[in-house]
Amino acid sequence: MSTTTSETGAPAAPARFPRETPIQYATTLLVVVLVAAPLLPVLYQSLLDGALYDHDARLTLGNFVRLAQNEGFPRILWNTFLLAGLTTVVAQLFGTLAAILFGRTDLPGARVLGELFLWPLYLSALVLSFGWYTIYGPAGYVTLFWQSLFGDAPWNLYSLGGMAVIAGVSQAPLAYLYCLSSAGMTDPTLEEAARVSGAGTFRTLWRVTLPLMMPAIAYSAVLNFTIGLELLSVPLIFGEPAGINVLTTFLFNISATSPRPDHGLAATAAALMLIVICFLVWLQGRLLGNTRRFVTLGGKATRPRPFRLGGLRWPLFAAALVYVVMTGVAPIAMLILRAFTSFLSPMIPLADVLTLDNFAALLNEPVYARAVTNSFLVSLVGAALATALIGMVALIVHRSEFRFRGPLHYVALFPRAVPGVVAGIGFFYAFALIPGIGGIRNSIWILVIAFTMRFIPAGLGAVAPMLLQVSPDLDRAARVQGADWWTTTRRIMMPLMRPALVACYTILFISFFKEYSTAIFLFAPGSEVIGTALLQTWVQGEVGVVAGLAAIQVAVIAVCITTARAIFGVKLHG
Amino acid sequence: MADLLIEGLVKRFGDVRAVDNVSIHVADGEFVTLLGPSGCGKSTTLAAVAGLDRPDEGRIIVGGKTYFDGARGTYLPPEARGCGLVFQSYALWPHMTVFDNVVFPLTLRKVNAAERKRRVAEVLALVEMERFADRYPHMLSGGQQQRVALARTLVYQPAILLLDEPLSNLDAKLRDRARVWLAELRTRLGLTTIYVTHDQIEALSLSDRIVVMNGGRIAQLGTPQDIYERPADPFVADFIGTTNFLPAKVAEPGVGTALLELGNGQRIEVAAERAQTQGARVTIAFRPEQMRVATAGEVTNGEGSVVDARVLTRSYVGGRWQVGLDLGGGPLRLETETPPAGDAVRLWLPRHGGIVFRESGHVAA
Ligand SMILES: Nc1ncnc2c1ncn2[C@@H]1O[C@H](COP(=O)(O)OP(=O)(O)O)[C@@H](O)[C@H]1O
Ligand SMILES: [Mg+2]
Repeated sequence: MSTTTSETGAPAAPARFPRETPIQYATTLLVVVLVAAPLLPVLYQSLLDGALYDHDARLTLGNFVRLAQNEGFPRILWNTFLLAGLTTVVAQLFGTLAAILFGRTDLPGARVLGELFLWPLYLSALVLSFGWYTIYGPAGYVTLFWQSLFGDAPWNLYSLGGMAVIAGVSQAPLAYLYCLSSAGMTDPTLEEAARVSGAGTFRTLWRVTLPLMMPAIAYSAVLNFTIGLELLSVPLIFGEPAGINVLTTFLFNISATSPRPDHGLAATAAALMLIVICFLVWLQGRLLGNTRRFVTLGGKATRPRPFRLGGLRWPLFAAALVYVVMTGVAPIAMLILRAFTSFLSPMIPLADVLTLDNFAALLNEPVYARAVTNSFLVSLVGAALATALIGMVALIVHRSEFRFRGPLHYVALFPRAVPGVVAGIGFFYAFALIPGIGGIRNSIWILVIAFTMRFIPAGLGAVAPMLLQVSPDLDRAARVQGADWWTTTRRIMMPLMRPALVACYTILFISFFKEYSTAIFLFAPGSEVIGTALLQTWVQGEVGVVAGLAAIQVAVIAVCITTARAIFGVKLHG
Repeated sequence: MADLLIEGLVKRFGDVRAVDNVSIHVADGEFVTLLGPSGCGKSTTLAAVAGLDRPDEGRIIVGGKTYFDGARGTYLPPEARGCGLVFQSYALWPHMTVFDNVVFPLTLRKVNAAERKRRVAEVLALVEMERFADRYPHMLSGGQQQRVALARTLVYQPAILLLDEPLSNLDAKLRDRARVWLAELRTRLGLTTIYVTHDQIEALSLSDRIVVMNGGRIAQLGTPQDIYERPADPFVADFIGTTNFLPAKVAEPGVGTALLELGNGQRIEVAAERAQTQGARVTIAFRPEQMRVATAGEVTNGEGSVVDARVLTRSYVGGRWQVGLDLGGGPLRLETETPPAGDAVRLWLPRHGGIVFRESGHVAA
C-alpha cells in the first residue's frame, strides 16, 4: 500500500514477560487450593486422636480400628449399599422405560410427558421428599384418602423400600437422558434391519434396541449408584425416624448436629466414603469411554420411525400419565398447596384452610427471611464468581498452551468424586484450621467457596462442549495478528463464549439455590440458606413453613429455567 | 516486507511426520505456492511459519528475524512474529462487524483513531468492500468474507503474507473470478507470499515458484513452467494434470532420441536429453492434449509415432468426447471431437513433450 506508516509487522511489544503466565498460574493455584482445602483436612483428621485444631492431638490409626469395631457400622454400610442399589434399580427401570416409551414410540403426548418426567432433575431430592411426605406420608393426602376407603395404607415411606422409590424417582431422569442419547435411540439402521427381517415390535425392542442402550444404561447406573451413596436428604427425613442409618446420616449425626462431635470417627468415615466414590467415578470414566462409542453424534442420524404401540397406545399413555402425576406433579403441587394452607386433608374442604400465614411467618421470622435473602445472595453472586472461575479454567484447559493444563483439568474435575457431606465436613475443618479467617467462617462466603468447589465439574460440563464448538481458527487468527493470549481471551473468546457462560451461570444458580448437603455442615447463625432452614424447620415440625420455603425454592427455579430457555435458548441438559 | 528462509523443517504428530525436512527460500516480494494433495503437510508448514504449531526441528527466519530455531530452542509466539495469515475458514470474528474485524490489529498496535479509520477505509477500498463496513460476517457471501479476511491481514502490513487455500470454500465460478482478482492484487502489493492450495490451476497462474509437496516432503521446487513441462517424478506429473502413464522398456538408447518399446511390442520414438540404459524399465507420461487420433494414412515420422490402441470406453462430456484407451497395458485418456468408430484406433504420440521417468520414479529424460 502507498502510505506506509511506522507500525508494520508485529505490534510494538514491550519487554515481554508473557502476561498469560501469572493469570494461568493464579487460576491453577486457586483451583488446586479450592479442591484440596476440604480433602487434606479430612485425611489428616482421620489420622488424629483428637480434634485437628487441638494442639495436643497425635497421629494414630486408632480411628480406623474404632470405626471397624463400631457396633452399628456394618449395619450402616449394609443399609448404605442396599439403599443405593435399590435406588439405582428403581431409577434405571423407570428411566429406561421412559426413554423407550417417550423417545421411540408413537405414544400420545410423548413430548410433554418427557418434559414432566424431567422435573425431579431440577428440584432437590429434599423438596421432592417433602412433597412425597405431603401426599404419601403417614398423614399424607393420599394416605388419609386410602385409609378412609380401605383401611391401613400398604406403603411406608419410612423404610428402605420407600426411600429407594423416592430417591429412584428423583434420579430416573438421569437414566432417561443417557438412554435417549444412546445408539439404541438414534441409529435407525440396525433396528430397521431387524424389522425388515420380520421381527415384531417387542421382539425388536428386546433384541436390538435394548442391547444397544446397554452402555448408556450401565453408565447411568453407576452414576445413579454414586449419587445414591451420597444422598443425605431422603435418609435424613425418612430413615432417621425409623432408625435406619446410612453413611451420610451417620456422618451428619456424629459431626454437624452432635453437641460432642467425634471428629476422628467422622473424618475416617468420610475418608472411607471418599475412596469408594473415587473408585465409582473412575468406573464412570471407563464406562463413559464405552458409551461414547455407542452414541451417535451429530445431525446425520434422522430419528428412526417410531414403534407402533397399536392397542397398547392408550393404556400405556394412561400408565405414563399416572406415573408422572403421582411421582412428580402431584407431590410438588400438593407441597405448594400446603404452603398456602394451614392443614391439608381430604376430609376438610380446601376453602376452610386456605391462608397466607405460612408466608407471613416466613417474613416475620428473621431466620427465615434471612435464609431466603442469603440463598439469593449466595446464588446470584456466588454463581457469578464461580462462572468467572470456571470460564477461565475452561479457556486455559481448552484454549491455551499452558504447561499444566492437563493436570489443571484433572484437578478441576476431581470434585465429582467428593460427596457433598464430605466437602461440608472438609471445609468445616479447613476453616477451623486456618487462623484469622473467622470472619469468613461465619458468613455466607464459606458457602460460596464450598459450593463453587463442588460445582466446578458441573459448570465445566456446561462450558466445555460449547467452547469446543468455537473454531480454533478464531483465536489463532487473533494471535497471528498480534494479540497475546490474554487479549485474545478477552476480546475474542469471552464474547464468543457468552451463551456457554449463561448456561453455566444458570446451572450454577440452580445448583447453589437448592444445595443443602454441604451447607448443613457449614452454616452458622446468620448464614442460613433455604436448604438448611428447610432441614431445621422440618426437625422442628413446622410443616407449613417447610412447605412455604420449598414453594419459594420451586418457584425461583421454575422462573430461572423458563427465563434461561426463553431468552437465551439455554439447553440445561443433554 | 522480508524474505523467508525455512531450513530442515520437521513436524511430527505422534508417528506421523507431517512435515519432513522441508527447506525453502522465498525471496523478498516473491510469491511461492505450496501445492499438494490434502494431508501432505501444507497447512502444517504454514502454521509453523505463523507460529501456531511448534515444529520439532529446523529453522525459520523472516527478514533476518529468527522465528524458530529448533537447535537453539528459539520460538517466537505468533503474536510476536507479525505474519499475516488468511485462514481457509476465513476465521472472521462473528461478534464483530467488518470494520471491527479489520480494525482489530490496528487497535492492538495502538494506532490512533483517525489513522485507524483512514487505514481501514483504505484497505476495504482495496478489496472493494468499503460498502460493507457495518455488516456482520454472517451477512456476507463467501467471496466477500474472503476479501474481508484478506483486508484484515493486509491492514497491518505484515512482514509476509500466508494464505491457506483462500479460494477453496468458494464455488467454481466465484473461484475463477477471485483468482483473477487475487492475481491483480498480488502484482499491486508485491508482498512476500506463501500460498497454499491443492489446485494446480491456482498454483500455475499465480506463482513465481511452486513447491510441490508429497507426504510431508518436497517433491519438486521450481517455476510453473518447470513444474508443468519438466515434472520431477510421476507424482508431480500426475498432480499437475498429466494423466497418462505408459510402462515401457528402453529398446534403443541414444542421445537426443530413444526408442521405447511398449507393453505390446509397439515402439515409439521420444526425445531424450540424457542417455538411457538398454533394457531399462521406464514410464512415459503424456498429457491428454498432447495426444490425438492419427489422420488417415499418417505414419511414424520425425515428429511423432503412430501406434495402435484399443478403445475401452467413450463418453460425451459436452462438445467433446472422452475416450478411454488401452495401449499395451497402460490405460490412457484422450479427448476428441468425434468419437472413434470401432474398437481400435490409431494414436499419434509426439516425439517431444512426453516425459520419460526411470522406474525408481526419478526423471530420466
Ligand atoms: N493436530 C494434528 N494432530 C495430528 N495430526 C495432524 C494434526 N494436524 C495435521 N495432522 C496430520 O498431518 C498431516 C498434514 O496435515 P496438513 O498440514 O493439515 O495437510 P494439508 O494442509 O496439506 O492438507 C496429515 O496427515 C494430518 O493428518
Ligand atoms: Mg490444509
